Amino acid sequence: MLKYILKKLLIMVLTLWIIITLTFVLMVSVPGSPFNSEGNSNEIVQQNLERHYNLDKPIHVQYLLYLKSVATLDFGPSIKQPNQTVNDLLGRGFPISAELGLITIIVAVISGIILGILAALRHNGVIDYLAMGIAVLGISIPNFILATLLIQKLAVDWEFFPVATWKSPMHMVLPVLALATGPMAIIARLTRSTMLEVLTQDYIKMARAKGLTPWKIIVKHALRNALMPVITIMGTLLAGIMTGSFVIEQIFAIPGMGKYFVESINHRDFPVIMGTTVFYSAFLIVMLFLVDIAYGILDPRIKVTKKEGE
Amino acid sequence: MKKLLFLLIAALTVFMLAACTATEDAGKDPEEKDKVEEPAENGDSTDDAASDEKVLRLNNSTEPTSLDPSIGFDAVSWDPLNNLMEGLTRLNAEHRAAEGVAEDWTISDDGLTYTFTLREDAKWSNGDPVVAKDFEFAWKYMLDPETASAAAFLGYFIEGAEAYNSGEGSADDVKVTAVDEKTLEVVLAAPTGFFLDVLTNPAFFPINHKVAEADPNWHTEAETFVGNGPFKLESWKHDEEMVFVKNEHYWDASAVKLDKVHFAMVNDTNTQYQMFEAGELDTAGIPPELSDQLIGGDNVFIGPYGGLEFFRFNLEMEPFQNKKIRQAFAYAVNRDDIAEFVVKNGVEPAYGYINPGYTSPTGEDFRDVNGDLVAFDPDKAKQLLEEGMAEEGYDELPPITLSYNTSDTNKAVAEALHGMFQENLGVEVTLENQEWNVFSEAQKALELQFSRSSFINDYNDPVNFLESFITDSYMNRTGFSSEEYDALIAKGKSATDEEERWEALYEAEKLLAEEMPAFPIRYYNTVVLEADGVEGILRHPVGYFDLKYADKK
Repeated sequence: MLKYILKKLLIMVLTLWIIITLTFVLMVSVPGSPFNSEGNSNEIVQQNLERHYNLDKPIHVQYLLYLKSVATLDFGPSIKQPNQTVNDLLGRGFPISAELGLITIIVAVISGIILGILAALRHNGVIDYLAMGIAVLGISIPNFILATLLIQKLAVDWEFFPVATWKSPMHMVLPVLALATGPMAIIARLTRSTMLEVLTQDYIKMARAKGLTPWKIIVKHALRNALMPVITIMGTLLAGIMTGSFVIEQIFAIPGMGKYFVESINHRDFPVIMGTTVFYSAFLIVMLFLVDIAYGILDPRIKVTKKEGE
Repeated sequence: MKKLLFLLIAALTVFMLAACTATEDAGKDPEEKDKVEEPAENGDSTDDAASDEKVLRLNNSTEPTSLDPSIGFDAVSWDPLNNLMEGLTRLNAEHRAAEGVAEDWTISDDGLTYTFTLREDAKWSNGDPVVAKDFEFAWKYMLDPETASAAAFLGYFIEGAEAYNSGEGSADDVKVTAVDEKTLEVVLAAPTGFFLDVLTNPAFFPINHKVAEADPNWHTEAETFVGNGPFKLESWKHDEEMVFVKNEHYWDASAVKLDKVHFAMVNDTNTQYQMFEAGELDTAGIPPELSDQLIGGDNVFIGPYGGLEFFRFNLEMEPFQNKKIRQAFAYAVNRDDIAEFVVKNGVEPAYGYINPGYTSPTGEDFRDVNGDLVAFDPDKAKQLLEEGMAEEGYDELPPITLSYNTSDTNKAVAEALHGMFQENLGVEVTLENQEWNVFSEAQKALELQFSRSSFINDYNDPVNFLESFITDSYMNRTGFSSEEYDALIAKGKSATDEEERWEALYEAEKLLAEEMPAFPIRYYNTVVLEADGVEGILRHPVGYFDLKYADKK
């Protein structure tokens, strides 16, 4: 196991290096500079700015500076917000995005699994159609439309919830709803289809024959296997949702880190681009690693340590 | 096995929770939230909780770039800064430079030496007196090439400033001198009739030199921020909210009516409007989709904003080396239609380059004096095009591509222009949109044939825009070069006689319209929804809003 983890770690570092290098190459090959604001300027001012942020240095020096900043985990100040370091920005934004993301995932997983099981148990029944109808809607309605609708109805018209900002648990309800619907729908559909498959297996028939209660059969025997695909998508889902959604955070004025992924590129804010890329990649790699471990625990047939080429 | 599953879930949860609560904020949140929540929950209860407090709730859209006055060179920084600090001069209700920290000044006969006398009672929010040294310190800091201030070029009016900023001179040669505690002497590089207006820009605000020398990061947090304006920074939750309270040390504190100002940071036009609807904000912008519905309401403030949307020709690319062809395109555009049906939101069509609102030394508006310099005249346009093509020997016009940076409004304007050129000139232009940064680089490098542009004024004088088109200016971006024009602008900047200076500027604008390296489309404006009872917010056409006299009834 230890050898496996070490090997994994080495691959993780290598993957990160490739990602960083690719990002750097893309970054310097895209036209534009961080100082192209719509405001007025002149050449001296532009030169001072470039020198200040080391952008006047040859490309290979800039690359080494970036590698150094990654190695020391100090990405330096943002160019767009020069009084804040990238670490400040991510350190402030991530906990908020993670809080929102985690609540969202919990809501999505619980409601998705319940919906999926209900649908599978009443296969081709009214509940099945209803549950899958909700799921299809959840997948097809983009979350920003849902968000705007929720705000208009629940906050502006009926005044149940505040419109936006991030201050109290009441402020969390609408963004969580908007963000959870998509993943919930995916999880519900996955659970339903694997559940249907599992329910026809011999060992379930066996369990029934033994006279176990339906509740026990589902929770103890069927669900465990039915959850494997859900666990598979969990890694990507967690990394994606916990690092913040640009659209949802913008609509609800949530001070998370989602906006940095998009805005840093629009502003050519190189340190922030690097910081978000490294952070997201590392987070995703760790999540996928945890998923691998989870497989082994959930399904003894899978031996993580013996797998090659993972 | 079941236990293992539980263990895994438990471990994951603990890991996640640890990740969330690792910062000091998250741990404290529940208590803080309760405090904030109660007033917010009952809607109008801001008034119940403290019935005699006047609290204005505004939206700054985003986190200010910086509250360091030398660094924050954009609207999201200027609006807060203008209310937290004050320069030697401050724009008054007529949008002209009036006494700020300086209570008086004298200008030498050659127009070069300005001597400012600072108010005895001008104080910083920590109680220190505002002294001349604070200005000297702040301006030299702004001009230091190491500071890399985007605003530094505004300081070049001062003798020695450009040399210092370009790394050739030294700070000692910049002619800003604190003669004594309350006297500041500034020597300019050339006479500049609008220098007092330039000084209202936050780039020229003072910095408490004692505070800044002790802590260079004084401006990054509310706890250390020291200002000298009508309000002081009480709290600043980055990316979330700033709260200003009345500054009792301000020399004119008795004029300030508001007790508190909340600046939210909501960057979505629909959301901020919905918050306004729900009573969570006192002012809001109008989302473009709702413009037709809302623009006529009586709670709408519409005012001019010093800026122009225009299109640049590239004089180094065919067919725009020809003046008549350029004019033909300019005369084929129906600006009234673009303003009324395409851009909407109450904007004014532009028939000149300089927006209305600049008062000449004789008391007239620049725009009124120079009148319309371009018109919508399809017949004239067609005739000009024919003449131009004949001059160049074209049987057929070379292909033309009109570029704009990606945005819904820009696209709509470009499509309208496409239609107008087709209908009025019989010319089919190709439209092309690019991401802002890519577009901007290409425009600077003169790689675009015909492209969209905008200009926002930095200070209150027509020369600010007109100067863009002098030969080899960084802002020129058309390849236009005219000795006559350069001479007019030189005069328009530095003539000591104000009337003579304005005369040169009138001539310069006319020459620009004749040469037509760029044609105007529309002026910018400010459109704001204001809740009942909100009064007295000064929205200056050039620059930023002022809450000094604002009130909420």
